[in-house]
Amino acid sequence: MKDIPKIKWTKLDNASKIFPSTMTTRDTKVFRFSCYLKEAVDEKALEKAIPPTLESFPIYKSVLRRGVFWYYLEESTLVPSVEVENKTICAPLYLKEERGLLFRVFYFNNRLSVEIFHALSDGAGAIWFFETLLYHYFTIKYHDVLPASLLKLPPKAAISQKMDDSFEKTYFRNKVIKEEKAPKIQGPAYRLKGTKVEEHKTKLLEGTLSTKEVLSLAHTYNTTLTVFLTALYFYAIYKEMPKKMHRYPIILQVPINLRPYFGSSTARNFYATMNITLDPTLKDWSLEEIILHVEAQFKEEMHVDKVKSHLDHLMSLEKNPFTRILPLPLKDITLKIANALKDRHITSSISNVGRIQMTPEFHPFIEKFSVFVSARRPQIVVCSYEDQLVISFISPFHDTELQRVFFQFFTERGLEVSISSNL
Amino acid sequence: MQHCEHCHVKIIETRDRCPLCGNALEKEEVPLKTTFPVIPPYIKSQSKIKVLLFVSVVLVILSFTLYAFYPTELNWPLLVLFGLTSLWLDLAFLVRKRFRIPKKIVWQVFILSLLALFWDWNIGWRGWSITYVIPFLQILALILMYAIALIMKLQSKDFITYAFMSALFGFTPLLFLIFDWVSVHYPSILSITTSSIILSAILILQWDSIRSEFMKRLHM
Repeated sequence: MKDIPKIKWTKLDNASKIFPSTMTTRDTKVFRFSCYLKEAVDEKALEKAIPPTLESFPIYKSVLRRGVFWYYLEESTLVPSVEVENKTICAPLYLKEERGLLFRVFYFNNRLSVEIFHALSDGAGAIWFFETLLYHYFTIKYHDVLPASLLKLPPKAAISQKMDDSFEKTYFRNKVIKEEKAPKIQGPAYRLKGTKVEEHKTKLLEGTLSTKEVLSLAHTYNTTLTVFLTALYFYAIYKEMPKKMHRYPIILQVPINLRPYFGSSTARNFYATMNITLDPTLKDWSLEEIILHVEAQFKEEMHVDKVKSHLDHLMSLEKNPFTRILPLPLKDITLKIANALKDRHITSSISNVGRIQMTPEFHPFIEKFSVFVSARRPQIVVCSYEDQLVISFISPFHDTELQRVFFQFFTERGLEVSISSNL
Repeated sequence: MQHCEHCHVKIIETRDRCPLCGNALEKEEVPLKTTFPVIPPYIKSQSKIKVLLFVSVVLVILSFTLYAFYPTELNWPLLVLFGLTSLWLDLAFLVRKRFRIPKKIVWQVFILSLLALFWDWNIGWRGWSITYVIPFLQILALILMYAIALIMKLQSKDFITYAFMSALFGFTPLLFLIFDWVSVHYPSILSITTSSIILSAILILQWDSIRSEFMKRLHM
């Protein structure tokens, strides 16, 4: 037996801890970032772009392993390969008996994509990783066209900052403000039903619109893009909902990026979620009323104190001695059950990844971006790049009524919508 | 680009029907455009295993039928049933843990020991399972694990915990000796010797490794 260099390992952060236990063959907890290029993807250049990207994001070299009490990330020497897209969207990345990397890089014609297991990172962290990958891809592929000043990427943050477990860092055990009351328990939410797509496939229906046009439409309602799209989604669900189901509230889950609140620049998970509610029994809702209602809830939920107490609540669950001492197989089951119970209170979710910004020199190479996740229920992910706003509907169902109502709102107002789907 | 007359949307890829409303779209002359690859349906590769399972079940049924026609003193169809069940049990674990050989060895020793105990008991307790099978299995496992680690150039983190577990299991024959369950002593003694050597090797030579492995796996 000879000496072997020490193997680095990392605990999972608070948000990651739930993903390995609650993933299923349908909801794989994998999300995808795609960039549509103006030209076909160059496999060689893409292959070369991966190692320098991993240098700046060492956490992506990890594999997930099972300990006695928790899962953990262990550094590996695996080298990711580039493939032509050959799997269903958001195919599983973590398989219990295989020790593989938790992300994949692949391409299809002019689309360059990465898929990432949620235990590694959230959307905001992954954008950063993806931007870096694209940066290296462009500078390798177009090194003779691009100005020399661009060929060096100044690091935006220290490696340790990117590896930071910000949940752990912002949590002060003693300071747990006793929450006024535990998050109010509501009755079950209205749940979307449909015919499931066979073989656990996910159906993607993506609409591309003009960012400017949608933004000015939002402005005519005196609101922001996120609130407007959330309200419109509520409106579409409300309109599509059978009357007899009106006694169930519509509840949308919306993620909040915690980085700006705590000055973190981690490339790992650092987000919380808020539940926005609409009670159909209150009145006959118009879109304007829904917007005001949603806006008020956003304001309340995103208030610093509210976010802090929410975060403390999340952490205290993890730090609970009983949780900690539970062996992993039991934790798996407990988390699965808890998650299923929580699921009953959610109708759907909407997540705005926001504006993706690239150096102006890269603009001639890029057409648009698209982001989506695996889904156990229909949900929306939005992202924008320049004037291309991509709204991705992912759903385990064949049905497209909801999507039609949603996009028709735009076409009825003269906006142009381009549709694309994987099935 | 195709256009849906009903939804008033453009369709990016070439399609027969609008993905939103399902209405037929007008055919276009321009070359076909695809945005997503066609993924062939996932074929269940278990069909062969299912056939084998079926054959095993039929074998058991037939042996019971034969026994019903020609009864013998020994209830041999029961042995066929237990034999095939043992085989399947073992196979299930082999396939499940196929990616990690050291882990597989630990499981195999465990399962084979239990099966040996069961069979010994089932065909009239003669004590061969604890006298020979269990001690030699432990020795074999330890030697095998060390050999595999060498041959496959495994990093210590990938086998040290399992070697540690095997070494601990290797002390079970100590119980057989203490309680005087066995009349032939040398297999048990050999098992304890091998385990002691391996255990001291791990604790003395690989202390850092085993310590960090434990920290990692046991973190709360």
